[in-house]
Amino acid sequence: MESPLFYFTDPVLRGPTIACMLMCLASSLVGVMVYLRKQSLLGESLSHAAYPGVLGGVLLGVFVFAGLDEGPLLAAFILIGAFLSALLGLWIIEILTRHLSVRNDAALCFVLSMAFGIGITAASRLQFTHTQLYRHVNIYFYGQAATMTDLHVLVYACISLLVVALISLMYKELQLITFDRDFASIIGIRTKTIDTALFILIVLAVVVGIRSVGVVLMSAMLIAPAVSARQWTNRLSVMLILAALFGLSSGFMGNYLSVELGEYFSNKYPNENIALPTGPMIVLVAMGICFVSLFLAPERGLLSRLGRIFLFRYKCIEENFLKALWRINADGDVTWLDLSRRMDTNRILAELVLFQMRIKGYIFRKSFNVYQLTGQGRQRATHVVRLHRLWELYLVDEIGIGAEKVHRNAEEMEHIITPNLEKRLSELLKDPKVDPHQQPIPPSTQKG
Amino acid sequence: MGDTEPLASDKVAVQAFQLTVNYDKTPVLWDISLAVPEGVLLGIVGPNGAGKSTLIKTMLGLIKPISGSVEFLAQPLRKVRNRVAYVPQRETVDWDFPITVLDLVMMGRYGSLGFCRWPGKKERHLAYHYLEKVGMERYADRQISQLSGGQQQRVFLARALVQEADIYFMDEPFVGVDLMTEKVLIELLGELRSQGKTIFVVHHDLNTVEAYFDWVALLNVRLIACGPTSQVFHSSNLESTYGKSHSLLDEAVKLAQNKSSGMI
Repeated sequence: MESPLFYFTDPVLRGPTIACMLMCLASSLVGVMVYLRKQSLLGESLSHAAYPGVLGGVLLGVFVFAGLDEGPLLAAFILIGAFLSALLGLWIIEILTRHLSVRNDAALCFVLSMAFGIGITAASRLQFTHTQLYRHVNIYFYGQAATMTDLHVLVYACISLLVVALISLMYKELQLITFDRDFASIIGIRTKTIDTALFILIVLAVVVGIRSVGVVLMSAMLIAPAVSARQWTNRLSVMLILAALFGLSSGFMGNYLSVELGEYFSNKYPNENIALPTGPMIVLVAMGICFVSLFLAPERGLLSRLGRIFLFRYKCIEENFLKALWRINADGDVTWLDLSRRMDTNRILAELVLFQMRIKGYIFRKSFNVYQLTGQGRQRATHVVRLHRLWELYLVDEIGIGAEKVHRNAEEMEHIITPNLEKRLSELLKDPKVDPHQQPIPPSTQKG
Repeated sequence: MGDTEPLASDKVAVQAFQLTVNYDKTPVLWDISLAVPEGVLLGIVGPNGAGKSTLIKTMLGLIKPISGSVEFLAQPLRKVRNRVAYVPQRETVDWDFPITVLDLVMMGRYGSLGFCRWPGKKERHLAYHYLEKVGMERYADRQISQLSGGQQQRVFLARALVQEADIYFMDEPFVGVDLMTEKVLIELLGELRSQGKTIFVVHHDLNTVEAYFDWVALLNVRLIACGPTSQVFHSSNLESTYGKSHSLLDEAVKLAQNKSSGMI
């Protein structure tokens, strides 16, 4: 086990590690904007559109400037080729949607598969004519972080810095354009210029990214950090920072796990030829963060939402029990038999609820299967009944719904109405005493 | 409001010259010229598809007309952007966007902030002030997705108010809002008018036109009439705005649309 710091100092490891982190930083920031603009598929299309450009760059580099061999100049040719062909893809999408009235999603799919088809056809020819070059092209197809050098780091650092700088300079404009384009344009923001700038940033992020994670996995690096970040915050600024952090840590952890886990497995199963390539590991880590966010985020996460649903359901059952006890006998004994006639809850759950209510001090048990409401329990029960009847009166008097139809809705709303709403209802209805069914509405228990 | 003679001054707030807008080759707005004085609360009224929203979007430069021009306070829009505010239809934006209510209102200041300048204490203060005006200050730190329809509309109005403009354009502000919000909105609009501001409101409820607006523009592709409500809001004008004669035009327009795009 190497210390994490080693990955930033070791001459072999530092190139891939830092380059991947920078690439992830750029793509996650751009990704937030892409995600919020609901253009997630764009990254996927553009990364595929860049593929023929990679081939073009290689061929141009080798045949026009013959003799180049995997040096920095060839890398530059590939970057430029990919950049131009991704731009071309963007332009075709624009033409298709604007002038040929093809729907946006169809245009994106069209460009994706068309570029991919051209790329693969050319590559399979190359496979036989120039095997060496074919291998080089494959680096961009599948991504190969491990062979990146300090030079890559330098290029990536510049491009990432550019992305970070432009996004923070245009933050205000990007926010406004994404949220409300017409408004932005009226107050004098140059929407077209900002759009163009953002498109160039997307293309840059994609072109830089395919070197590490490859054409096919690229869009995950745009989207995963953004989706994760959205789960934890309701502010765009925080979302950008979180996405950047998630991106950076995916970039690092991908490299770390690729090396450490790879070593672990090859020691354990020496004959199995297990390799864990960096690109897919980065994407897997990003996806892992995404899943954790989707399930565990405090507000929007699935688990906390399920938890809240459970708590609410339980509250409903408890309040229904209190109401039933109150109806049967507010001040005296209530037997289980009476209770079970009104409640169709199963016995085990009922015992659990009754037990909980005893602990909370709403009821006490007089003898086996005989219960009585405490003062506190009575108060809570009357409160629920009050909300029920207030709501019924509101529906009948203010909304104009027939008195015979309001009970069912009130059965639900009695568990939902907040003290604030109760106060407003009471004011609106002028502190009423009788509900539409001529039942008394218990007075408010709120203080003040 | 309809009962008083307008406070309108002699100065013209907004003037449109022969605006024509086509989608493909078919007219959506046809040769519209109007002049609206300052200090007027004007309702733009007409049937569905009459081009009400298109009219204000064209005046604001969001849609390019094939001919005609618009002047605000006798100047083109680009010179007086800071004096013109806009409230789009509520449904046109994504209410799940990650911003708070206060952030949304502060967007109204972005135009006067300029490029690369970030909103600061002053903007925050102003935004809060106008949130109070629309009775939404308690929601300042809420995420916008938690708002009800009426609350969304109030926040949108606050964003327009924070621009502190002289001319306001509102696209269907009363659609899908509760009565309380409608009352708050119309009171605020009246207040703006009494400060000498000019307000354009796209409106579809004929019953409230006379109560709400002191000027009215009747629109159905072409402008039927535009003037003080008491003078132009009568049955013969309404007849020509909503009457049957238009269904023929509709059909012809659709036909022309299909022809010109090669569909038939």
